[in-house]
Amino acid sequence: MAKGIKDKVAIIGMGCSKFGERWDCGPEELILEAFKEALVDANISREEIEMAWLGLFYQEQSAGKSALPLSLALRLPNIPVTRVENLCATGTEALRGAVYAVAAGACDIALAMGVEKLKDTGYGGLPERTKGSFDDLWLPNATAPGAFAQLASAYAAKHKVDMQDLKRAMAHISVKSHANGALNPKAHLQKTITEDDAMNAGMIAYPLGLMDCCGVSDGAACAIVTSVEKAREMGFKDLVTVKAMQLAPSNGFEMSNTGWDGSYLHTTRLAAKRAYAEAGVTHPRQEIHMMEVHDCFSVTELVVMEDLGISPEGGAIREVLDGVFDRDGEVPCQIDGGLKCFGHPIGASGLRMAYEMYLQLLGRAGPRQLNSPSLGLTHNLGGHPFRNVASVSLFGLYSA
Amino acid sequence: MSFGILSFGAYVPILRLPRSAIAEAMAWAVPSLKGLAKGERSLANWDEDSVTLAVEAARNCLAGITQVPAQIQLASTTLPFADRSNSGIVADALLCDDFTTTEDLGGSRRAATSALVRLGLNPGPRSTLLLAADCREAKPGSVQEMNYGHGAAALLLGEGKPLAIITGAASLHDDFVDQYRAAGTPHDYALEERWVREEGYNKLVPKVVRAALANAHLDISEVHRVVFPASASIAKGVAKAIQVNPDLFVDPLLTNCGDCGAAQPLLILAHALETAVPGEKILVIGFGQGADAIVVETTPHLAELQRQHGPSRYLAQKRMCRNYAMFLSLRNQLEVDFGLRAERDNRTSQSAFYRRRKDITGMVGARCVACNTLQFPRSQVCVKCGAMETQQDESLSGLVGRVKSYTEDWLAYTPLPPYIYGNVEFADGANCMLEFTDFEPGQVKVGSAVRMVFRIKDFDVKRHFRRYFWKPAPILNETR
Repeated sequence: MAKGIKDKVAIIGMGCSKFGERWDCGPEELILEAFKEALVDANISREEIEMAWLGLFYQEQSAGKSALPLSLALRLPNIPVTRVENLCATGTEALRGAVYAVAAGACDIALAMGVEKLKDTGYGGLPERTKGSFDDLWLPNATAPGAFAQLASAYAAKHKVDMQDLKRAMAHISVKSHANGALNPKAHLQKTITEDDAMNAGMIAYPLGLMDCCGVSDGAACAIVTSVEKAREMGFKDLVTVKAMQLAPSNGFEMSNTGWDGSYLHTTRLAAKRAYAEAGVTHPRQEIHMMEVHDCFSVTELVVMEDLGISPEGGAIREVLDGVFDRDGEVPCQIDGGLKCFGHPIGASGLRMAYEMYLQLLGRAGPRQLNSPSLGLTHNLGGHPFRNVASVSLFGLYSA
Repeated sequence: MSFGILSFGAYVPILRLPRSAIAEAMAWAVPSLKGLAKGERSLANWDEDSVTLAVEAARNCLAGITQVPAQIQLASTTLPFADRSNSGIVADALLCDDFTTTEDLGGSRRAATSALVRLGLNPGPRSTLLLAADCREAKPGSVQEMNYGHGAAALLLGEGKPLAIITGAASLHDDFVDQYRAAGTPHDYALEERWVREEGYNKLVPKVVRAALANAHLDISEVHRVVFPASASIAKGVAKAIQVNPDLFVDPLLTNCGDCGAAQPLLILAHALETAVPGEKILVIGFGQGADAIVVETTPHLAELQRQHGPSRYLAQKRMCRNYAMFLSLRNQLEVDFGLRAERDNRTSQSAFYRRRKDITGMVGARCVACNTLQFPRSQVCVKCGAMETQQDESLSGLVGRVKSYTEDWLAYTPLPPYIYGNVEFADGANCMLEFTDFEPGQVKVGSAVRMVFRIKDFDVKRHFRRYFWKPAPILNETR
């Protein structure tokens, strides 16, 4: 009987580039910026890395397919490099590959790198892309905000909430994330906003306004992982270990069955359940000290609070407005600004979330440091609510 | 059992342009437009063309009809494809059998009436769905821009219990060039109206009407109504020439719809049939490089079809487009800068389309025989019960859906922002994320009922291709 990944692998170094509109940087520069930080952090040489995983989503307009963008950018010594892509869970997937390799004993030290260069498209928002030769024939040419706006209309209808009340809770989420981003020098958006700013912003996809949408950013983030034993050998004392890494992709249930009403994220619920089981978490609300969830849009964060079992169903609006997820709240969420303000270079985002957990757990988060957290959650949601890939991961301090 | 018209149908797009909007925008250049600025004209949405208009008219015609047409004839001067069977697309959209004969007719505004003459003179055993649609564009500031409309009509002819029989017909060819459009060019070139009226209508129409009446062994005094696709002033001259009371002329729908080209005679006939009583003798006239005349006589079977069929339901339901620049853009007469998102390459993989052509053109999904769940698109493994290879073809195009979620997207590219799309639930479990059409901003709600309509999904401007699919649209009002 498999025991899962809990406490088998330690993160010994992490790096994250500044996120934003990095007009002067290509993917190579972003990769190196994150890599240098992680290498210093882990106190190892480049040659000690035995295997690497590269997370990159939009290869078309950023770095290209395959292992090569990473292998070439860092002139790695011909070690195995695997490129992974799983929509917005791409960065987390790169980390899962490296973590599993170490856990399997295939290597001692592995690198997970996520990168995305989005701002070479020439326009705002995410790039246009084909959905495949058949799906292009019938699926709407939806944008990400339009696809996630569906959550808001379905949620409001299901819970009989006035759209203005939902908008107000969504505004609270954005105001909170901007306040957090303002404390983060690496964040894409570092200005605070008011609730009125959020409520009155221009409409992107009803009911989502501009301030309900996350930044589209360039950036890279990476992690160096090893086994707990090896980390001890190397002299690391406070260890951050992986407690759970779970993934749940849609299988069509949401779109071809009346069982789904469009107001929640089916796959997130499944991934969370499995992750809690893997980590031995029985009371998530009490045991999880902090979260970085996939707040691509304000409404996603709100709905996800329920899907992760943190808020009761239909209760997220109240809890958001009560400040439960503010930085000084009961379960702080998006402490680094989140996708909303730290930014969302897709391939890097899952690793960026892990980076914040890592800093917080080691007490290195500077002005936004929480009071000695020991367990944090990251969550990605790739694709659109009606068909997506959800990942839920838990990271915590190792206690032998 | 006898041969005749078994059913009729029509379709007029929901968009209307008040003619005053044209005058306001263009009278600075053409002051005489002010005199024409009465009423409104029908306007095809950006995703409609002669093929989609014809499909809607055909669906109206075939509603409640069990007879399946053995052949489809599609008459139009604005068919989107010069070499790709337009009627073949219609046949797939209507879920017709693979051996349905399909034929595109064109070359004249008489394309439909000439086909009706042929069917009248040579009634065959096979049932024919005769479709007429036109979607003509006109130069900004032209009289045609004022007068034209977009619409379609349909007749099902064959052996059965006809609602009307054809008692006589005649066709006259005459190279009288009142107006023309050269192949591959976008607009019509029209000649002086006075000449057209006096040398054209007043001389050619009486000639063909005499021939048709002779064929029907009928005197003009026995005709109850006249279907004539021209203005009241032209009708007045023709009425005098053929010696009938001008009051017998059926409203040609020019004020509230406009002149729909090849579709207009059948559109007016469909309008006449909505209110006709049994035993009415109706003279149908077509005009353009000659003239056609057909005499039809209604039967008692007419009453069964009058409630649901014909243009009035469509004419009663409208969405006004008062913005002249929007009208030009919708009909591709003005190139608006929609930004870089509009540059998306919409190349169609024809082999992928061909494999799934029934899915796309007929919205054919499947029902799992193991668990009875309807699903779109069909797949190898049932989405509900997981059974493999248990799916049987079933179309969703005729179903009413219910909106489960939606958005109005101002970021996505569409020729008529916002881009509205959402999750729609159908009977027996089918759920689809679909692009909507014809809805105004603010109109869609969670719980709204929708009907499916066949529309253009995307244009491939680089390769002059267009692909079609089905979209949820507002429910049609029951009453007219």
